[in-house]
Amino acid sequence: MTFNVLLCGVGGEGVLFTSVIIARAANLEGYEVRGTQLHGLAQRGGQIPTHIRFGKGVFSPTIPRGEADLILALEPVEAARECYFADKKRTGFVIDTYPIIPVYTSLLKERYPSPEEIRKMIAPFAKKAVFVDASNICKEKFGDPIYGNVMAIGVAISSGLLPLKQSSVEKSLRYTAPKYWEQNLKAFRMDLKFRD
Amino acid sequence: MENPDILEKAGKKVVLLGNEAIVRGALEAGLGFSACYPGTPSSEVGLTFADIAKKVGFYFEWSTNEKVAFEACAGAAFCGVRALTAMKHFGLNVATDSVFPVAYVGVHGGLVINVADDPFGHSSGQSEEDTRRFARVGNIPMLEPSNTQECKDFTMIAFEMSERYEIPVFLRTTTMVSHSAGTVKLGPVRKPKIRGKFVKNFERYYCIRPILQKMHENILKKIDRIERDYARLNKAEGDPKSKKGILANGVSYQYAKELDLKNVRIGKLGLTYPISRKFIIDFIKNLNTLIVLEELEPVIEDFVRGVAKDVNPKLKIYGKDILPRVSEYSTELIRERIAPILKIKKPDFSEQERELKKLKLPTRKAVMCPGCPHRSTFYAVKKVLGENVVWAGDIGCYLLGIFKPFEMQDFILSMGASLGVTHGIRKVSDQKVVVFIGDSTFFHAGMPGLANMKYNDPKVLVVVMDNNITAMTGHQPHPGTGFSAVGEPKEPIKIEDIAKSFGIKNVRVVNAFNQKELQATVKELDSKPGVSVLVSRGMCRLLMKKMLKKQGRKFPLFQIEPGEKRNLGLLDKFACPAIMKRGNRYYINPDMCWGCSVCSQICPPGAIKPAAKGEEK
Repeated sequence: MTFNVLLCGVGGEGVLFTSVIIARAANLEGYEVRGTQLHGLAQRGGQIPTHIRFGKGVFSPTIPRGEADLILALEPVEAARECYFADKKRTGFVIDTYPIIPVYTSLLKERYPSPEEIRKMIAPFAKKAVFVDASNICKEKFGDPIYGNVMAIGVAISSGLLPLKQSSVEKSLRYTAPKYWEQNLKAFRMDLKFRD
Repeated sequence: MENPDILEKAGKKVVLLGNEAIVRGALEAGLGFSACYPGTPSSEVGLTFADIAKKVGFYFEWSTNEKVAFEACAGAAFCGVRALTAMKHFGLNVATDSVFPVAYVGVHGGLVINVADDPFGHSSGQSEEDTRRFARVGNIPMLEPSNTQECKDFTMIAFEMSERYEIPVFLRTTTMVSHSAGTVKLGPVRKPKIRGKFVKNFERYYCIRPILQKMHENILKKIDRIERDYARLNKAEGDPKSKKGILANGVSYQYAKELDLKNVRIGKLGLTYPISRKFIIDFIKNLNTLIVLEELEPVIEDFVRGVAKDVNPKLKIYGKDILPRVSEYSTELIRERIAPILKIKKPDFSEQERELKKLKLPTRKAVMCPGCPHRSTFYAVKKVLGENVVWAGDIGCYLLGIFKPFEMQDFILSMGASLGVTHGIRKVSDQKVVVFIGDSTFFHAGMPGLANMKYNDPKVLVVVMDNNITAMTGHQPHPGTGFSAVGEPKEPIKIEDIAKSFGIKNVRVVNAFNQKELQATVKELDSKPGVSVLVSRGMCRLLMKKMLKKQGRKFPLFQIEPGEKRNLGLLDKFACPAIMKRGNRYYINPDMCWGCSVCSQICPPGAIKPAAKGEEK
């Protein structure tokens, strides 16, 4: 069986970092890991979907259509943009509700959807959807919204939407970013603690 | 981000990016020398080399372009040192002039060229070229890994092959291989051989007749032997009695495996030049149906059709008749197209499709970062010169100037082409043309174009957007930066000095974050005859952000004065992603402002000021 995680957000939010944390944690648990980490223009505020697949007998680096088990979105509109990979019977969503409004919204006279509208958009694709104001909470607690991604991993685990052990994610965090380990650990455990 | 797993112990299983696995493979092969010019999707090969070169003890540099990088690697390989260069597909276009003759003369130390194609153009805007054709033109063997483990293993085999046959070897990847992550089992790292010697041999290192023909014959013989000796890089799986088969290369093989097809034989080509005729004969002789899966050009398909005529003329072959020659493949695309042939079930997505159609989402495209010096330069040039100008574009972050509200890149072709094409336009048209070219691109391919322009003297304003680094590919230094790939200080070469040395009289350097100075200089140079050069200098803000973070510092924040009533509509023409709009009111998102201050310079005085909090500068 393969577990498929789709990570998305906007360049600069730490999508790649999040994908490394999850991939490394899955490797620590002995799974075979595959995935994609597209670089290039994403760094410049573009959208950036990253796929991670772990289990046994995983081949394609990308998740086939409708086969995501978890969509972890660091930006709400980007969650909706990846619904091609979602399926009502299968997909859980964890969504950081912190919006990053594209400059094009005003330039092209488009509309950025309200939080209620986003919830309605996601519903037909989600087995379960958890919304959390992770970036804002982290900004308040640590003075920097960047830790929202790590908090979101914690939320995914505590909601039962990401079958990885707390200990392996913590090891992965420590190994990947030893300098920011304490702060990341706090962010990661924040939700776990709330839910205990 | 440095990945500590690259240097993990033999026997461990770690997750690596395809590009990182290539680096590990090179270390396990005892690489002693590498030189690259960055180009995504291959950039992380060099970035990883740069991270570890000092620690492991081999040489690495970012060269000025792919041709120079390849030549440097060839020089090392002539001396018996194992060398690898990595480049994107268009990089190979630049390097090819030297790659073909080096294949003729051959090497002593293994020489591997990782070339990364980018079907779909995830990070490329030139063409969807298929570099497998280059292998055929130059008679250079080509290996194609299909996943991360193979990236490592095939790199080692490429070195072995290169040294055994004294021929450079291509390791061809695509974005979905270079940028795929996957579990890799590590082997032992070999101590690098970093010193060698050039041994003179008057019949070896040039290709003039009659040696030329001997060399040509020799390389053809090498290719024949490689076809025979390395057929083991191909494999056939599944029931040998099956009448249906799939033949694939690279990531297409992984997509086919993902489908978990029953009663279908799967053949995989790891060596796609030369293709083993014997392997193909064995694979197709008992089949009645064959599907060839390969992205882009029908290279394998054409070969198989030729072989099938002799050995299995009744074989029904599907390839580019059912699958596209453009863009990349995916598991679902392949399933969709082969389902009627193999009689497999397709999942029903009609309900999902209906729901997807209902989604109305705001457009999000890549943008110049907050505080980007290019935005400031674009704004100033347009403010002074207006709209009636042909804007010559080039390759770099500034190509983002194609989008609204700037729309200041009327053509973007290849590295340095802004100058050459502008010259042609100006010789046949009186239109005003402004060239935008970046610092790294200038060193890469801008100098010949500028020399030609100066010598033939049309009136043109050349704006060098100098952010002190190769930004778009992840911050690689170049000869103007002042430090090397491994962080050693170097004496920077100044672009203004180069322009002056060409005899260009009107060369100005301005601070890209100073609107007043920028606008005045554009106006001044616009009135001058001949070629003028404006170096608009301001450090890449993303690079500065990283540097400040290391020092525990932050940018100063700016804010729109509370109660500001004047019209700030100019901000729409500036399009900074940190400036947002609620109704008709603008506000600066403090999480996104990178403190460049340019918005405060273009708005009415006092409208935008440093935030009262007074973050340190």
